Amino acid sequence: MAEAVAGRRPGLDRARVLAWAREYGVYVSVLALLLFNVVFTPNFVDPGNFRTQLVQVAPIVIVALGMALVIGTEGIDLSVGSVMALAASMVVLYLGYGPVPAVLVALAAGAATGAVGGALVAYVGVQPIVATLALLVGVRGLANVLVPQLKEISNPGLLALGSGSVAGVPYVVLIAAALTAVMAFVVRRTTFGRRIVAIGGNRTASELSGLPVKRLLLAVYVISGTLAAGAGVLATARLQAGDPTSLGLFMELSAITAVVIGGTPLSGGRIRVLGTVMGALLMQLLQATLIKHDLPQSWAQIVQAAIILAAVYAAGNRGAR
Amino acid sequence: MSKQSGRCRHLPLAAVTAVALALAASGCAKTEDDASSQSGADAQAQQQVAQSPAGGAGATCTLRQFGGQKFDLKSAVVGFSQSEKEANPFRIAETKSIKDEAAKLGITKLRVTNAQSQFSKQIADVQQLIAQGARLLVIAPLNSDGWEPVLRQAAAKKIPIITVDRKINARPCGDYLTFIGSDFYQQGRRAADQMIKALGGKGKVAILLGAPGNNVTTDRTNGFKDRIKEKAPGIQISFEQTAEFTREKGQQVTEQLVQSNPDIDGIYAENDEMALGAVTALKGAGKQPGDIKIVSIDGTRGAVRAIVDGWLQAVIESNPRFGPLAFSTAQKFLEGHPIPEKVVIQDREYTKENAEDSLGLAY
Repeated sequence: MAEAVAGRRPGLDRARVLAWAREYGVYVSVLALLLFNVVFTPNFVDPGNFRTQLVQVAPIVIVALGMALVIGTEGIDLSVGSVMALAASMVVLYLGYGPVPAVLVALAAGAATGAVGGALVAYVGVQPIVATLALLVGVRGLANVLVPQLKEISNPGLLALGSGSVAGVPYVVLIAAALTAVMAFVVRRTTFGRRIVAIGGNRTASELSGLPVKRLLLAVYVISGTLAAGAGVLATARLQAGDPTSLGLFMELSAITAVVIGGTPLSGGRIRVLGTVMGALLMQLLQATLIKHDLPQSWAQIVQAAIILAAVYAAGNRGAR
Repeated sequence: MSKQSGRCRHLPLAAVTAVALALAASGCAKTEDDASSQSGADAQAQQQVAQSPAGGAGATCTLRQFGGQKFDLKSAVVGFSQSEKEANPFRIAETKSIKDEAAKLGITKLRVTNAQSQFSKQIADVQQLIAQGARLLVIAPLNSDGWEPVLRQAAAKKIPIITVDRKINARPCGDYLTFIGSDFYQQGRRAADQMIKALGGKGKVAILLGAPGNNVTTDRTNGFKDRIKEKAPGIQISFEQTAEFTREKGQQVTEQLVQSNPDIDGIYAENDEMALGAVTALKGAGKQPGDIKIVSIDGTRGAVRAIVDGWLQAVIESNPRFGPLAFSTAQKFLEGHPIPEKVVIQDREYTKENAEDSLGLAY
């Protein structure tokens, strides 16, 4: 006891610093990287450039929003990249009916995949990492069976979704921004959001206090699947081709990274929506910086690893709680 | 106990949902009208041709030297081990060519495996083919190294192995019979020649590299750079980034490129998919066809059509149709004639002059 008291003051300061870094580290990093690029990267300060970065990061943001919810419940969704591929194959298969039905079918396929994963987690009691790993493999396979080869898309409606814009802001970016706003509202202001955080914080207590834990978990995975499918639709529209073989590969890792460095702990119980967006932006800027300075992209992976470790370290030191 | 019964109740439900999903997925599909119907192009003209003389100078191999026994191809078990999923035009055309030629020659016992890009699976696949009694093996290797266990097994049974498109690091006419494939380094040099022509010998060029750590990438890069260095010192290579042979990465990297290097004059893409991704990016950036000269390698239908549309300047072919050449080489060998230890195929070139007429030759 005496030892704890003796070490209290510096320990508290350190905890404070770490808590601050956990909350705002990602914002500071994004700002620093932006500043670096403004000073050192030619042609960086240009509306076209900012548009490029936002358009490229939009699908990752959309997937990461769903991932943040799932991680908030102390779960994980590894199937998101494969769901993107499944959405791409659905778009290819159903575009003959027009863009709206094709997009709806793709979203439904994402929701259905999420429902399977959510049912396995909530009702069967399979661990999230196992249930969604099975889906990661199986759904990618299904997408490849349905559309074995990249197929180009020429439907003007769908292409407009990928490349059109309002007042200079691409649809893709607007959609990602709108979904972010909705998600931030849901997490902070709705009962649903608070209940999800409660499940992640303490599932047993949530169950005992009468929360419909199973239904809530199912809903969270359905949302994640639907968002991933949406990201797959947008990525397909932007690529102007459905490519279930390579679309969304490793997306689960990008999304988890964005969530974790955004300040949402893998142990659940807290969700940072804006932090998640910043996490995705940080990764995007990092990659862009390396490409623009013609440095090997392998460096991005090494730096990302360092950032993840830093984020986990900051998150792990909340013993003062 | 109650938890256990919960599992039993819900597991079939989840399985049924999954299957229903799969069925619904393909049930009432209706795709966009497909304009790119595979026209029945002249199969003869599409075929690979070995470079003369006899695929270049070099040693030859006979049945006696190899130490094998003559057998009838038609009634023998023949194994084909494909390395990657048939999801890109090259692999689709390659597997199809082997299957079609076998059918044409009346080889009824062709066994085809696919390693799905996993090298350990490819080793197991080939061992499986040997166990099934294959007398001839055609292999599209994923890697060049690590084949010793398979080669030892095949050598013990004197099974001739023909490797296609990539080489195996071992002894020809012994560990394996012969290699049939393109010269990737030469493809890079020829792409450089086309780029030099398109730019008039000077300008700034970006390279979209293939997947890192792959000998196709290395050879196509070195060939291009060496040729630029010796023939057009006025061309500066000011950017090289991997786009991993995929269209999506080709698009994303090119979007960054045109922002940061607006003065770029040409893009060399090490395969067609990346080149087509670059085209999508350039369209998005408001460029017109020909503003930035693009040269790529492969010869897929989409890329050759892009030459016709003016977005690509030239495409160096990498012909995947190995079937006819592989089986005619095997036949010659079995009849006791000498065959070359390395057969380098002649790859075409698609340019503005011939693209429209040769669209049927593309794969």
